[in-house]
Amino acid sequence: MALAGRTAEESQLLGALRDGVMRLAHVEIRPRQIDSEGHIPGSVLSALAEMGAFGLSIPEEHGGAGFSLQGVCSAVATLAEVDRSVATTIGLHLGLGTRGLIAYGSESLRAKHLPELAAGRKIAAFAATEAGAGSDLAAIATRAIEVAPGRLRIDGTKIYVTNGGLAHVFTIAAATPMLGGARRGHSLILLEKTDAGLEATGEEHKLGLRGSSTTCLHLEGVEVPADRIIGEAGRGMEQLHQVLAWGRTAMAAGCCGAARIALQLTAAHVATRRQFGRPLAAFEVVRGQLADMAALVFAMEALVEHTCAAESDAPLLAARSRAAKIFCSEADWEVCDLAVQLHGGAGFIEETGLPLLLRDARITRIFEGANDVLLVSHGAAEAAAPTVLRTTLGERIAQHRDELRARLGVRLMTRQRLLHRLGRLLVLREAVEAAALRAEAIGTEEARALALHFAQLASSRAAPLFAEPVAGIDAISLALTEPR
Amino acid sequence: MNSAEIDQRVVHMISQLCTVRPIQPKDRLREDLGLDSVCSMELLSMLAEEFEVDISLEEAMAVTTVGGAIDMTRRHIENGAH
Repeated sequence: MALAGRTAEESQLLGALRDGVMRLAHVEIRPRQIDSEGHIPGSVLSALAEMGAFGLSIPEEHGGAGFSLQGVCSAVATLAEVDRSVATTIGLHLGLGTRGLIAYGSESLRAKHLPELAAGRKIAAFAATEAGAGSDLAAIATRAIEVAPGRLRIDGTKIYVTNGGLAHVFTIAAATPMLGGARRGHSLILLEKTDAGLEATGEEHKLGLRGSSTTCLHLEGVEVPADRIIGEAGRGMEQLHQVLAWGRTAMAAGCCGAARIALQLTAAHVATRRQFGRPLAAFEVVRGQLADMAALVFAMEALVEHTCAAESDAPLLAARSRAAKIFCSEADWEVCDLAVQLHGGAGFIEETGLPLLLRDARITRIFEGANDVLLVSHGAAEAAAPTVLRTTLGERIAQHRDELRARLGVRLMTRQRLLHRLGRLLVLREAVEAAALRAEAIGTEEARALALHFAQLASSRAAPLFAEPVAGIDAISLALTEPR
Repeated sequence: MNSAEIDQRVVHMISQLCTVRPIQPKDRLREDLGLDSVCSMELLSMLAEEFEVDISLEEAMAVTTVGGAIDMTRRHIENGAH
């Protein structure tokens, strides 16, 4: 029941890719070796390039496969079933790394770079985060100034640049004051590894995704022609949010692939491991936890599909991708954690592969927008511009939202804990709706049972979120954080 | 509180949320000051708290410039005083 392509042709190509990836997995992709050595062997990346993995999202006229977002997500999920570092490297290339260039780049920029990127001869990276600008992207301090007509000079330092050590092409976000007429405008700019003054340094040592490259990107007096600006100057923040919507959805798909493997490993383990004279699967508590895992994976895949269906509707895609990113990253962690738990002591041993799944999952709740920040934004967006919320849970959330709006007016927008809870309710509702739609489309008893189990799970998790947050946190946090 | 004092306090509060200087009434919250829609709403919420006025979300959504935020604040303070 894994993610499919959007069209029959995509599904066929995805089938071939899946076969190729699985063959490669048997002979060449060694997740624990990649994890311990901290890099993906060049031969693996070359083999994936041969299969066309680097060109899946790139338009056919530039040598790619021209896949839809759904097709890209399916491919990323397949790669994540095999190795999360590989999935992240390629997913970043297909999503954040090339999306800006594909969607907004000039024809000359596209013609120059996309064929090489599609063939995997070049790898793409994306650089927005800075020491002072993480979730608060408006605080980006990297500046591109027009030093002469048609010439930009760029200075700044980016951190946590995924693919930084491998990339030949970087899409960076920079403040471009006055370019495009806005005093505080931003722009996306394409830089090349060979640009003088650009240096990617300092591979980070991470908790997980150790085979994926993460570096700083130093930009010191980098001078490039102004036609390196991707799309319209000064509109970068708007474009950035669209690019992030693609990236977040692809990342959520990676969560689906990893969680599905954790579920499969666990189902096999509880069916064979015996305690007290019976297989673990004979115990009701174990069956309940396994059912929760299966329902979560079903809902994760449903929400990714539901998000991909909004590909051509930018505002809807932005909202759904936020929900998919939050839900899938949290559910991935929960499923992998349950997998470790149900494996007992074996789940703590690296050789089983479960600790790696858990470690690799952790960052997804942080990168491409920390979940807590996204939850507040998600709640705030709904509070500011209410939408129609279908399903029984949706109707209850709408009533709650309207009560908050009427009681607090604009002051609701600084009640972060209320917005955070509202955001979480909305994410659960979106996942319930997506799971129900998916079950209806699949039409089997198993799918209906999974959607129903998930709806019950979501309902039990939603109930406490309608209550007022407990008071008294200020005194506690002040006591902990104020200088003594 | 007179109009000049209100203007000054509103501009001071905006200055805590963005780095652009100087802040002028014609500045657009999003394009010129870099405040996204959620951040703009937070600003208006902070104004409601600071000046102890009730502002509906619908009214806040219509504010797009520094001048608009000042006008809205003044209007509520004046209405509250009557």
